Amino acid sequence: MISEEKRSELLKKIHDSVVEFEEETSVKLCTEALNEEIDPYDAIMEGLAAGMETVGGLYEQKEYFVPELLLCSDAMYAGLDILRPHVKVDKSAKAVGKIIMGVIEGDIHDIGKTLVKTMFEAAGWEIYDLGKDVKLEKFVEELERTKADVVALSALMTTSMLAMPKVIDMLKAQVPEVIVMVGGAPLSPEIAKQYGADGYAKDAIAAVKEADRLFTKVA
Amino acid sequence: MQFRQDRMTSLERIDALFNYQRPDRIPVGAMSTGFNTKNAGFTVADAYEDPDKSFKAMMWTTQQYGWDPIPQYAGHTVLGAWDFGGEVRMPQGEYEGALVVTSCPVKDESDIDSLEMPDPKKAGRIPRAMRFSELQAAHDIPVFFFSRSPFTMAANISGIDQFLRWTMKNPEACEKLLRLSIDHIFNVLEYWVESFGPDKIFAWMSSPSESNQLISPRTLKKFALPYHVEYHERLEKLGIERFGFHICGDQNLNLSLLAEASPWKHPSVLSFGHEVDIKTAAEHFPKDIIYGNIEPTIIQTGTPEQVYELSRDAVEKGKNAPGGFILGPGCGLPVMAPPVNVWAMTKAANDFGWYD
Repeated sequence: MISEEKRSELLKKIHDSVVEFEEETSVKLCTEALNEEIDPYDAIMEGLAAGMETVGGLYEQKEYFVPELLLCSDAMYAGLDILRPHVKVDKSAKAVGKIIMGVIEGDIHDIGKTLVKTMFEAAGWEIYDLGKDVKLEKFVEELERTKADVVALSALMTTSMLAMPKVIDMLKAQVPEVIVMVGGAPLSPEIAKQYGADGYAKDAIAAVKEADRLFTKVA
Repeated sequence: MQFRQDRMTSLERIDALFNYQRPDRIPVGAMSTGFNTKNAGFTVADAYEDPDKSFKAMMWTTQQYGWDPIPQYAGHTVLGAWDFGGEVRMPQGEYEGALVVTSCPVKDESDIDSLEMPDPKKAGRIPRAMRFSELQAAHDIPVFFFSRSPFTMAANISGIDQFLRWTMKNPEACEKLLRLSIDHIFNVLEYWVESFGPDKIFAWMSSPSESNQLISPRTLKKFALPYHVEYHERLEKLGIERFGFHICGDQNLNLSLLAEASPWKHPSVLSFGHEVDIKTAAEHFPKDIIYGNIEPTIIQTGTPEQVYELSRDAVEKGKNAPGGFILGPGCGLPVMAPPVNVWAMTKAANDFGWYD
């Protein structure tokens, strides 16, 4: 059995491998954590997810930008691929909530959505990622299928953002209590409200906080 | 509405700015490719596909809103993904307003070395852009040559996610793509110079992938700035005098670096998004003509009163900028902008933009 001190040290190293975007190190350390019989769920939350939380802070401080975030995300996912198959089912049921996300029809810019996905992953949400240029009906079908708590819509173009009020109406008609969030460069809190969205976030880090706030309010 | 009488033609107004003289009033411009064709009853795709329709739409729309030819183009003259062999499709459906890259020519690093330099006369939409430029020359308006910055073009060739990762992990791959990008821009630019002469050409550049919404000033300094310097050395060698630069998005953290380097000939037109305050822009670039910066989303979703108020504020901040000022949207004019909101910009220029 690994000592508490060695356990903390290893989880800290996993955290650091994410922050320092060391993908190979993340894989090596996560494998080591399994070998040392550290609970893989704890390794995810206290190592990988904690690392992404630190990364979010660095982004907010304008120390990290998108290139760094992408590489940190790669390191986190590389570790997740090692650990996740070993997580016991009852532990994985601890998901905070379910979220559907996608870039709206007519828009192929998905870098923001990719980062949003990473941050939700790190925060323990169950994610249904529909990708980019997603037909409006697809969001509704996915909501019916997954019974998600939140739908997050992304747009970078002033043309594609025009589809948002329509899809929000469609989603609310299907499930009136569903939480809909919007984001992307041309959006603002005012436009989100005008479009009938429940929430808005200016970036991936803010998106998780906004979803938590809205979800807690409902729950 | 009572219009005041212009005392200068559009060309005289722009000439005045480039000679550090005060025009009769501030000029008004718009980057309005898809808006033009839709406004004239054509499709958004026509803006990119049919230079004759696009030109006609531009001329009528320009007259309708009293715009000056700053800038006037029909999309990019050169494009990264398309010119280098990727797949691009025309905008279609209800929610698309620009060209859509469906496949990048560089999927991974191994593709870079097999890239071929595009034919500077035939690649992508260059022949259509040439036709558009011929129409501009025939109507005695500046021939706009529009490219993205080498950094933005390189990212377009490999896909932005991959390119941004390479800025941290594979700088050699970035440098190769940047080199190809700038050389391609100038191969095509030479063709334009041969066709029209350098004095007719107005070079215009945009740099959306350099915004701080994506990259840090560190990355700008390392990968983007050296190519801006080279671009202007080569522009000068070609004898092209007039340049406009759309410094797209939030580039507040880049302003000091850009101002320090400012490799362009002064004055040039520097166009800013709503994220950069006009006063801040004028302070950083006192020798250049400041252009901007009405938020496109407000033009599209706001009221005419909001657009008018934003425009008044921009005019009052910019009117006395030492290098001059042009009122316009902070990025491309949204295709679906209500006409009355677009006109609110012109009204504000007329109400507050005269110099007497």
